[in-house]
Amino acid sequence: MAQERSRGQTVSDAQAATIAQQRETIRELQTPVIQVWEGILALPIVGSLDTARTQDMNEALLERIVQTGSEIVILDITGVPVIDTAVAKHLLETVSAARLLGAEVLIVGLSAHTAMTLVHLGLDLSGVTTRTTMAKGLELAFARLGLEVVRRGPPAPAAALDRGDL
Amino acid sequence: MPRVPILRLGSTLIAAVQEDLYDRDALELQEALTAELERTGARGVLLDVSVVETIDSYLGRVLRDIALGAQLLGAYTVVVGIQPAVAVTLVELGLELHGVRTALNPEKGLALLQRLFRAERRRGASDGR
Amino acid sequence: MAVELQLPIAGEPDIVAARQAARDAAKRLGFGLVDQSRIATAVSELTRNVVRYATNGRGRVVIREVAAPTGRAGLEIVVADDGPGIADVSEALREGSSSGTGLGMGLPGTKRLMDEMEVDSALGRGTIVCIRKWAR
Repeated sequence: MAQERSRGQTVSDAQAATIAQQRETIRELQTPVIQVWEGILALPIVGSLDTARTQDMNEALLERIVQTGSEIVILDITGVPVIDTAVAKHLLETVSAARLLGAEVLIVGLSAHTAMTLVHLGLDLSGVTTRTTMAKGLELAFARLGLEVVRRGPPAPAAALDRGDL
Repeated sequence: MPRVPILRLGSTLIAAVQEDLYDRDALELQEALTAELERTGARGVLLDVSVVETIDSYLGRVLRDIALGAQLLGAYTVVVGIQPAVAVTLVELGLELHGVRTALNPEKGLALLQRLFRAERRRGASDGR
Repeated sequence: MAVELQLPIAGEPDIVAARQAARDAAKRLGFGLVDQSRIATAVSELTRNVVRYATNGRGRVVIREVAAPTGRAGLEIVVADDGPGIADVSEALREGSSSGTGLGMGLPGTKRLMDEMEVDSALGRGTIVCIRKWAR
């Protein structure tokens, strides 16, 4: 069955389905949501954030929160070049939407420059938890979940790992 | 007889909000929950909105008002099951549901309530009351 | 063939009926779940305004599929009433003019959910709100 377009072109259902599938794939590649631990999702953002991209990101993130039941999301903005009012608002929207699904969002990767920009913008960031690095974000995430990473001994050589000696 | 049944589980009242709630039903739910809180002294309210496809500003305010009323009567409120599409819409509408705790599903909601009850007991104990 | 659906607004049940009809129309046009939610919520807000503020709480909703000159499909919804009208439309549309206390008409929020919104209203002339959302 063909659908008619206004200019007389016809797009088959199969082609429409392929386009939809490709769009979905592109969306997934642009907004990878990684489960780094049980209950913890990480979302590294690379590149600029506009309204459309934030919307896609939110949708993908929320779906993953539902799928995994994660209660902590670490949003890494190290790779976001410009943080202006619009981007900051988008990030706050992500934080709010995730909170409605019972997940707390930690924003990591803030530079001193970004911090000053956000302060100057005068937005209400009181509900947002931030850390400067992913490692610090993970540390906080583990603490929230009642987990702790403990050193039991010296680092194991690679060979020992391969042999399964760990 | 309220359209939305209210169940009791321990010290928590549970109400599963139906999909097509008229405004008057939402108000009735608010009144019924408040009355039941007073009657039973329950300390928690769990509102399950997992089948609600549309939460507009009116229902959002009712949810917030239920939480406020519950707080005045000494109870915590947790809203669970907000659908992702609804969450995005609520945020864009500017309805943050401040002051309303949320969880992903009923189990997590009940677990959150238990944590809140325990924390309250600990605070009471450390105050020497 | 453009599909058009007309619904009367006479009371609370019509708020639910109108937003469900809008959601169904959005679904038919291929809008995703989030856009369906935005559209249903916007229609809910606008029809509630009619029930709350229009004379006798009466009005009407028209839901129609439209096409942009580029061929892009969209959904247009018109909510109209013969009520008292809005004294200051620009004030009603101003961000922040509708507080969370429930006394406002929620127009800024509705506008944020849609791609386009037009309000035609004046005291004594009733109100017509037209909203549009385009499929991506």
